Amino acid sequence: MSKIEEVKALVEAGKSKKIAAAVQEALDAGDKAQDILDAMVASMSVVGDKFSAGEIFVPEMLIAAKSMSKGVEVLKPVMAGDTSNSLGTCIMGTVAGDLHDIGKNLVVMMLESAGFDMVDLGVDVPAEKFVEAIKENKNVVLVACSGLLTTTMPALKEAVQTVKAAFPDMKVIVGGAPVTPEYAAEIGADGYAPDAGSAAVKAKELVA
Amino acid sequence: MLTIKENLKEVMTGGKPDRFVKQYEFLQMIMSVPSGRVKPQIGEEVINEWGVTIRWPEGQIAAFPVHDAEHILLKDVTEWKEYVKAPSMERSEGAWDQAIADANAVDRDNKYVAAFIAPGVFEMTHYLMGMENALMSFYEEPEAMQELIDYLTEFELDYAKALVENLHPDAILHHDDWGSQLSTFLSPAMFEEFFLESYKKIYGFYKANGVELIVHHSDSFAATLVPNMIEMGVDIWQGVMNTNNIPEMIKQYGDKITFMGGIHSGIIDHPDWSQEQIAAEVKRTCEENGKIYFIPSSCQGLPGSSFPGVYEATDVEVDKMTKQLF
Repeated sequence: MSKIEEVKALVEAGKSKKIAAAVQEALDAGDKAQDILDAMVASMSVVGDKFSAGEIFVPEMLIAAKSMSKGVEVLKPVMAGDTSNSLGTCIMGTVAGDLHDIGKNLVVMMLESAGFDMVDLGVDVPAEKFVEAIKENKNVVLVACSGLLTTTMPALKEAVQTVKAAFPDMKVIVGGAPVTPEYAAEIGADGYAPDAGSAAVKAKELVA
Repeated sequence: MLTIKENLKEVMTGGKPDRFVKQYEFLQMIMSVPSGRVKPQIGEEVINEWGVTIRWPEGQIAAFPVHDAEHILLKDVTEWKEYVKAPSMERSEGAWDQAIADANAVDRDNKYVAAFIAPGVFEMTHYLMGMENALMSFYEEPEAMQELIDYLTEFELDYAKALVENLHPDAILHHDDWGSQLSTFLSPAMFEEFFLESYKKIYGFYKANGVELIVHHSDSFAATLVPNMIEMGVDIWQGVMNTNNIPEMIKQYGDKITFMGGIHSGIIDHPDWSQEQIAAEVKRTCEENGKIYFIPSSCQGLPGSSFPGVYEATDVEVDKMTKQLF
C-alpha cells in the first residue's frame, strides 16, 4: 500500500492517533500535499456516502472527521497561503429557537472535510445574524441552516428569506429532521439534504 | 368490558382486546418519588445532582445540558473517576411518604403503579461529556467508557433498590434515547457490546423484585435494537416513531414486545394544533398498525403534551378509532 493509500485508509477507519505520522511519512516519501489532501477529501466522501446509506453511524463519522482534521494540521504549514483547494466559505447555524447542535456539527465537519471554510454560528441563530456573517466574512458562497423542531420551521423559512432578501444570489441549503425537499423548495432554499453525508454532496453541487 | 389492565394484557399477548389501549392509560406515574433530580424551570439554569449544568431557555420545550468549554463536566473519559461522583441515595426521614401515599391510592386492579427513571445509562454518558465526545470515546477509549458505564449501571441499580424497597412499583417507565429519527446513534454491534449487559442487569433487577412491566422510552428509530430490547427484558417500547417500519416489527417481534407510539409529537403537538390533524394521525396509525402488540400514542415520554389539550384530544381520537375498528 502506498503512503497516500495508507492515509486514505486511516481517515476512513478513523484512526486519529496514527494519521499525523502517516501524513508526514507520505510527505517525506515525496507525495504532494495537495494529493494527500485530495485523498483525505475522497475518504470523507466515502464516509459520507456510507453514513447516508446507513452502513456506518455517527461515531464512525466523527472519528473519521477528527482523523482528517489531524491530518490537515500536518499539511497546513506545507500548504500555507495556498487557497486553491478551498471551495469557499460556508456560514452555518441552527435557526432561532432551536438548540439542537449534533446534526449541525456533523454537517460542519463534513463540509469542512469536503473543502469549505466553515463559519459555525452555533445554535439559536437569528435570521439577521446569517446576513451579518455573510458581510463579515470573505468569499462566502453558501449558507447552511439547520432546524430540528417542527416548531422552528417558521424560523428556518425566515432565515432563508432574510438571506435571500439581502443576497439574492447566495446559495442556501437547509436540513433537519422535519424538513422535506418540498418544504425546502417552498421556502426558497436552493438545496436540501437529509443527512450530513448528503449535505456535503449537495453543497459541492450548489457551488460548482 | 375488560379492565384497563386486562385489555393491555390482551394487546400484549396477541389475544382479544376489546378496544385500543389509550396512550398511557395503564400507567399511574408516581412523580412524587424523591428522585434527587435537580431540574431547571423555564428560564433557569441549574447544576444538577451529578454536577452537570442544565439550562432551560425561554421559548424552548425542554431543558438541555450545557457542554461548552466552561460548563462541560467531563472532558476526557479516562479521567471519569476524578469528575463523576454519583449522587447520594440517602433521603431525609419521611421523604418517601408522599410517593408511598400516592402509590397506595392507585386502583391497582386497573392501573400499574409506575416509577419514572431518566436519564438512562447512554444518555448519562453524553450528559456528562457532550454527545460528540461521548460517541468518539466509544472508539477511542473503550475501556474507560466501559468503566464509566459500569459505574452508571451500579448507580441505576442502587436507585432501583430504593424504588422497589419504598414504592414497590408494578411498572417502570425508563428513558434512554438510543437514536435520532432516522438511525440509532451507535451501530447495533456497538450498542450490544456496551449496553446490553448493563440493561440486562438493571431490568433483570426490577423483574426479580416485583416489577411486572418494563416500559422503555426511546423516541427514535431503533428497529435494529429490538432484539436487544427483548433480551434485556423490555415489555413495551414507548416512543416508536414512524421512521421504524412498525407493521413489520409487529409481525417479526410482536409476541415478545409491544410497540407504543406511531404518532410523531412534532406533527400533532405544536402551538397551532388542531383536532382534525390529530384525528388524521390517530386514524392512520391505528389502521396501519392494528389492534394487537400495538398501543397508539404520541411519542412524548410521559403522559401529557408540550401544548395544552393535545394529549386529551389524542385520547378522544383513539376512542373514536375504537368505535370504528372494534
